[in-house]
Formats: sequence, C-alpha cells, structure tokens
Amino acid sequence: MRIIDAHTHPVMFKRGLTRPEVDRLVKHGRKLGVETMIGLGDVLLYGRSFTAEQIVEVNDDSAKVQAMYPDYFRFFCFLNPRLGEKAVMREVERCVDKYGFIGIKLEICNNARDACMKPVMEAARRWKLVVLQHSWSQINIRQRSFHTDPADTATLARRHPDVPIIMAHLTGCGVRGVIEVKDLDNVTVDTSGGLADEGLLEYAVENLGVGRIIHGSDLPGRSIGVSIQRVLGARLSAAEKERILFSNAARLLKLG
Amino acid sequence: MIFDVNCYLGTWPFSLVPEMSADQLAKQLARAGVDAAAVSPLAAVFQPEPMPANRALFAALRGKRRFVPLPVVNPALANWKEQLEECAAAPGVRAVRLYPNYHDYRLTRRTLRPFVDALEHHRLRLVITARIEDERHRYFALRIKGVPVADLAAFLKANPGTVPLVTGLSVNEAPQLAAVCENFLADISYQENVELAAMLRGKLSTSRLMFGSLAPLVSVAAQTGKLSAPDFSAAERRRIAFTNAARFFSIPHADRR
Repeated sequence: MRIIDAHTHPVMFKRGLTRPEVDRLVKHGRKLGVETMIGLGDVLLYGRSFTAEQIVEVNDDSAKVQAMYPDYFRFFCFLNPRLGEKAVMREVERCVDKYGFIGIKLEICNNARDACMKPVMEAARRWKLVVLQHSWSQINIRQRSFHTDPADTATLARRHPDVPIIMAHLTGCGVRGVIEVKDLDNVTVDTSGGLADEGLLEYAVENLGVGRIIHGSDLPGRSIGVSIQRVLGARLSAAEKERILFSNAARLLKLG
Repeated sequence: MIFDVNCYLGTWPFSLVPEMSADQLAKQLARAGVDAAAVSPLAAVFQPEPMPANRALFAALRGKRRFVPLPVVNPALANWKEQLEECAAAPGVRAVRLYPNYHDYRLTRRTLRPFVDALEHHRLRLVITARIEDERHRYFALRIKGVPVADLAAFLKANPGTVPLVTGLSVNEAPQLAAVCENFLADISYQENVELAAMLRGKLSTSRLMFGSLAPLVSVAAQTGKLSAPDFSAAERRRIAFTNAARFFSIPHADRR
C-alpha cells in the first residue's frame, strides 16, 4: 500500500541534519512503505518565541534535508505569526520561491484564534498553501495563551473557510476535537498525537468522513511503524485505509 | 510470538471503548499478532477494594490458556494479607499488580515492607502501574498523576531483592529511573521514538523491556508497530516481545515457541 507521512520532523533540535541521519530515516521510511514525507521543521528549537532569523534558520535546515532527497521530502514553511505581516509574507515568499515549500506550519508561538493569524492566512490564500496548525486539548495542559486547543483551530477555520487547514494530532484533540471541526469542511485531521486510543480513528471517520483524515506519525518523537499500524489495524475497509494512508494527502497537498 | 504484559478487562469510565469478554479481547489481540497476555481488571482501579474485580477476572479467564490473570492488590487497605492470599491461591496467578496513584498511597509507605515479604513468601512477582492514562488526555475532574520516579526509586532502593515490572513509565521517566536503580523491568506501552532502540541504548537494556499495549484502551496493532523500529536486532525484538515476559511470568518453556 502506498503511504504518505504528512506529519514529520526530520530535524529536531538540530539532530537529523547530517547525510547519514537522513539516509537512515529515508531507508526506514521506505522499508515501511512511506514514499513521501511531509517535513514540518525543527519547530521547538528555540522554544515558542522564534526571531525572524531563527525562523529562517529552521526553514533553511528543512531545505537542506529536502535537497538531499528532493523526491522523498516536501516541506512546510514554519512561521512565527507574532513577527507580523511583513516578516510572515517575506518568509513565505522566500520558502515558496526558493525551496518550493507546499504549506505553512504553525506550532506554539501563539494561539490560532489570535489576531496575528490574519496575515498568515492571507499568505496561505495568496500562495495557495495548506496550513497545518498544531492542536492539542488544553483541558489539562492549560497553556491556551499560546497553545492551540481544537476549539481554537475550529475558530480559525470558521474565519477562513477558503483556506485548507490540517488540524494536527487526532489523539491530542480527541473526541471533543473531532466534534469541534465536524461541520468545517476546510479542516482535515492528521492521525498523529499520543498513544493511539482504541476506536478514535474509526470515530473520526464516522463523524468527519474518511476524506478528511490523513496519516501522520509526528516522528522522531513518535514511530512510523506505530502510526501505520494504527491505520492498518483499524476497523475500516481497505479502501478507507488507502485513502487515509495515501490518497487524501496526495489530493490535499497536490502530490503526484 | 508476542506476549502483552499490560492488558485489561473491563471498562474505563471516560472512554468510548466498549467492555469486552475475554474471548473478544483474545480476538482483538490475535488480530494484531499478539498471542498471549497478562490481564488485570480495570474495575479494581475505581472500586473501594479490588477483590470483587479480581474474582470476576479469575472467572472470566478460567480455562483461557492465552491469558495469565494479573490481579490487583491494594496494600493500603487493612485486609491486604487476605487479598494477597486469595490471589496467590487463584489458578494461574504468578504476579500481582499495584495501582498506587489510583489507590492513593505512596510507594514509600511503611506497610509495603511486610507486603514485599509476603510476596516472596507466596512466590509472586510484582507489577507496579506508573500510569494507565496519559495525564494530558484524562477526564478533566480526575486529577491523578503518574507515580513519581522518586517514589519508585525509593521503593526499589528499600527493596533491593525485588525486581518489579513497572508499566506505563513515560519516555523521560524510564531512563531517569534506570539511572538510579537497576532492579526493575519496564514495559514499552509509553516508550516511543522513530529510533526506539537508539533512544534506549545505554539507558535501559532490552533485557529489561517487555511489550505492553494497554489494550483494550489503546490500539494493540499500533503498539505492535514499535517492534518494527529499525534499530532493534531480531534477538532484541524477541526479548521484548516474548522472552523477558515469559521469564517474568514463569510461562512454561514448552509454550515459548
């Protein structure tokens, strides 16, 4: 079965940048059937307050990995929306024009409902990019001033219905997260997150429709073997598994 | 062959996962390639004393050769000796499980010394549950955290002759505990990384690790994916999947295919 891993961090805290490390990751991915990895950058390298220079550094590191295996990796442009419209537009333009990045990645620099998201979404609209928003239930974490709850991702999607959004981390968002975005057709959910709660993937398929779920591992902290088996072991048809593991991401991200 | 050391019967009140019979659980495990398991009762987490849940477990697993009953004892209750004696007398029991954080006692408690002596007397092994549920995803009103590493370390140092299996240690906790104590084993239910073996190498030997899934609350198939990590040798994979657990639970050699 063909597989796209739509949520990976090939470089994390500067590890994964060397040729042998990248070779090893690609070999492992290919062995498990992953034919394309979507890289999202070293998004926690400087905590949650990246300067413009640090953002450039992270995206340049992503580009280095992409250059080693241009047919295997496609990257999203990591942004700090708090840096403002000018910095956001400049970095998106640079990453799209220079590196061919295909999406925008947002982590924990701010909450997705903040006003600083407006230029980010405008950039996504202008360059026709998908926005992947880190999302995790804040009921127990309680960091909502900068950490996005699924309800906040839903707010973002409601404000920008013409921008395709990936709500990251099905497990972190849980049943409540699925319910939050149920009526928002511009939101797709990736399967990454913590331990694979039994039945949650089937619940998401039942409530969102299979077309709105894509496979992601969140490596290196998580395992590709686990994320793939989560899908393959689910009570879903072969056609549904194929869509989650490959076709949905291929269509959303316009991958050949 | 895969043996699951962290498996349950019963329901978790904050989960949509339906209750399963032992046969249904066996089928679910088999579908994911898991051959056998040590099974504990989830009801013992919440009920005021564990024996009714243990008795239901013994009845449910009677005659089920795939399963080793792993009953729960609450040593903070005055009747812990009776609990232990009844568990030790039940067919197939080779170990007992503790839920310290769910039963509101600390592993530094004085009564645990005679409890450990009694375990030795009954020739029972010990399983300590560091956590079942990821604290980030728990029910909002259930303010229960994992067992602190410091408490586990204090217990292990106070009982150097005991080598318990600790289930549910997080990615950070297992190496922290291993840095200060050698007399414990751990399951991999919460251990995950794209290069799991490399992450654990030098911190926790595969001779001390066992496969645990947290079934039926967590996808067993997903958990078995950890065994496909690229950097485990075939021998290491066998140890984690089966051999270490077989030794711990005294599974007869003939069954060790």
